[in-house]
Amino acid sequence: MGTPCHFALFDLKPGFRLDLELLASRYRELARHVHPDRFADASEREQRVALEQSASLNEAYRTLKNPPQRARYLLALSGPELPLEVTVQDPSFLLQQMQWREELEDLHDSADLAGVAQFKRRLKVAQDELNESFAVCWDDASRREEAERLMRRMQFLDKLSHEVRQLEERLDD
Amino acid sequence: MALLQIAEPGQSPQPHQRRLAVGIDLGTTNSLVAAVRSGLSEPLADAAGQVILPSAVRYHADRVEVGEDARAAASGDPLNTVLSVKRLMGRGLADVKQLGEQLPYRFVGGESHMPFIETVQGPKSPVEVSAEILKVLRQRAEATLGGELVGAVITVPAYFDDSQRQATKDAARLAGLNVLRLLNEPTAAAVAYGLDQHAEGVVAIYDLGGGTFDISVLRLTGGVFEVLATGGDSALGGDDFDYAIASWIVQQAGVSEDLDPGQQRLLLQTACAAKEALTNNATTTLSYAGWQGVLSREQLDALIEPMVARSLKACRRAVRDAGIELEEVEAVVMVGGSTRVPRVRQAVAELFSREPLADIDPDQVVAIGAAIQADALAGNKRGDGEELLLLDVIPLSLGLETMGGLMEKVIPRNTTIPVARAQDFTTYKDGQTAMMIHVLQGERELISDCRSLARFELRGIPPMVAGAAKIRVTFQVDADGLLSVSALELASGVEASIQVKPSYGLTDGEIARMLQDSFKNASDDKVARVLREQQVDAQRLLEAVEAALLADGERLLDADERVAIEAQMQQLRDCMAANDGLAIEQQTKRLTQITDAFAARRLDATVKASLAGRSLDEIEE
Repeated sequence: MGTPCHFALFDLKPGFRLDLELLASRYRELARHVHPDRFADASEREQRVALEQSASLNEAYRTLKNPPQRARYLLALSGPELPLEVTVQDPSFLLQQMQWREELEDLHDSADLAGVAQFKRRLKVAQDELNESFAVCWDDASRREEAERLMRRMQFLDKLSHEVRQLEERLDD
Repeated sequence: MALLQIAEPGQSPQPHQRRLAVGIDLGTTNSLVAAVRSGLSEPLADAAGQVILPSAVRYHADRVEVGEDARAAASGDPLNTVLSVKRLMGRGLADVKQLGEQLPYRFVGGESHMPFIETVQGPKSPVEVSAEILKVLRQRAEATLGGELVGAVITVPAYFDDSQRQATKDAARLAGLNVLRLLNEPTAAAVAYGLDQHAEGVVAIYDLGGGTFDISVLRLTGGVFEVLATGGDSALGGDDFDYAIASWIVQQAGVSEDLDPGQQRLLLQTACAAKEALTNNATTTLSYAGWQGVLSREQLDALIEPMVARSLKACRRAVRDAGIELEEVEAVVMVGGSTRVPRVRQAVAELFSREPLADIDPDQVVAIGAAIQADALAGNKRGDGEELLLLDVIPLSLGLETMGGLMEKVIPRNTTIPVARAQDFTTYKDGQTAMMIHVLQGERELISDCRSLARFELRGIPPMVAGAAKIRVTFQVDADGLLSVSALELASGVEASIQVKPSYGLTDGEIARMLQDSFKNASDDKVARVLREQQVDAQRLLEAVEAALLADGERLLDADERVAIEAQMQQLRDCMAANDGLAIEQQTKRLTQITDAFAARRLDATVKASLAGRSLDEIEE
């Protein structure tokens, strides 16, 4: 019995467009059945089985919930394993990346909270657009290379939003 | 047993027989035990009608005193009376020093790194002191409920790290309690509010106790309690307010800061009384060592402001970590005695722009929630049929030391538990045959800023060129929030693993000694009790396997597997008839092992069935 595909686990068709509400409710349903709380009084071994099943359920949920991770997972399902870090051949995006980062550094230096909030909103818009582009691209099997490039962009923006959170934390000190 | 419990969650094997389980709030200042009776979760009172047990333990030469009398004796017998022991749980001597010279005890080192308190009964570890409190609560519960407990849910601050959790579990073990689950205090409070007050949506739980502060953000949907993020400070609480007032008194009175332990206790009591008086009054008069003065609420507010600010900062971080904005929080719940301080309430109300809820007694709500979960875990079905599911998170990131003294995160904070995650590493020298695995917990990059949880070595790696070996390190956090780590060299299959025994925990030797001490006078009792437990366990397993065979034997087992299981069942029955404890234990274990694959297949089948939206019965057709 191999590891089932994350989508199959939730009884969903593999795809980038996902009904997140449905995913969440299936997750809760499954979690009810495998959560270790159901086995609090069971044998050690069965508790371990429940622990492992719950852990992989949580992992699958986490992967599908997050758009860049979902994109990456889809690509990995249908092709060779993707290295986590690669030298990205995406000059136009590289330029944009540098601009984002410079802006973030300026915000850090000026401790501009309103600026950070505005940056966050712009970032969110960019992420939504990118998700939409990936969804369109994913529907066309001949555009796999482009899909990979878009996924890398999504990963970058995800990292960037993480950095924004860290910046907010520092400015809160 | 679990094989049986696949039927329906919360269903007891014998529905007419309610299994006794309790929730225990082991607090810094006060402790409580609660249980579900007639469908209602409520704290249990002692013979004198008192629900709250002060977390104070006084050692006499020949006995141990716990509770109000012990607390009253604190200034008269400071060295033998331990208060706020929770602040010492899972801490090293260095941490304890950092808490300040405020603690009026004589510490001695033990076999482990844990500080022991020198008392008239010899050195006592914080774990032993906590166990004394738990024993009293256990006795109270058994007397009130009229029977032996199946187990207990013990609450811990959400922000407790692995060492502090492990120490709490050890204390329960010493007190003879079967720990069904360690439950985070804010989550317990959320359960109480969710079920009794029917709260729904995004809720923030602000829990300021005597010594710890937690903030948790949860999403409540139909019996599911999903923690989105948690944060806090495991060394911030009402005690710190007392210290702030105490040093103000020392300043005002112009007395020396060099106090003996008795004076120190008296000073803290004076400070605490002033703090409490200012909850309902604008000013209070206090006197200490011949000095008399007036403290106003404004002055108190100013004294505690830095601490209140620290708690608000943690709130903002938790809300950010939850991926939401402050406005999206639909209700704020106050938990812990220190939320009675008016300035605290006001500050929280301002931050969330809404009046915080305190409908359930902030001192009792955690124990009430814990009892509800304990009841469910023990297999008792809830009266309203609503099924409970708690999805909690780890409060602090877990990781490994990498080159250059840096911490590499393997599991980030606020990841839902249980969780298992692996990361691959390689050797950095030619011919390297061993690798040190250093497990850390914390948010900072430098390992010196993180808490060291454990170190162990993977040995016997076959010599290869640098970078050729592939070492997979797997972290697993269980539903109690406790971590275990294993390391495997993939090419050779060399393996090493540990249940993380925290650096500041007790050594196995120390636990063995304490268990021995506690059983010294009861060794015959113990043998009989152990045998009875073994018999009960074996019987339960047999019944579970029988039921499972009946339900799924045909479908999920081949003939050989079935014969093997049945033979093993007979073996176990034979040992039970012979009253041979050791053999029963061994044969029970073997039966568990042999039915292992069967159990896993049944679990898979359930998952598939629930996916298809059908019950197991329908599938069997």
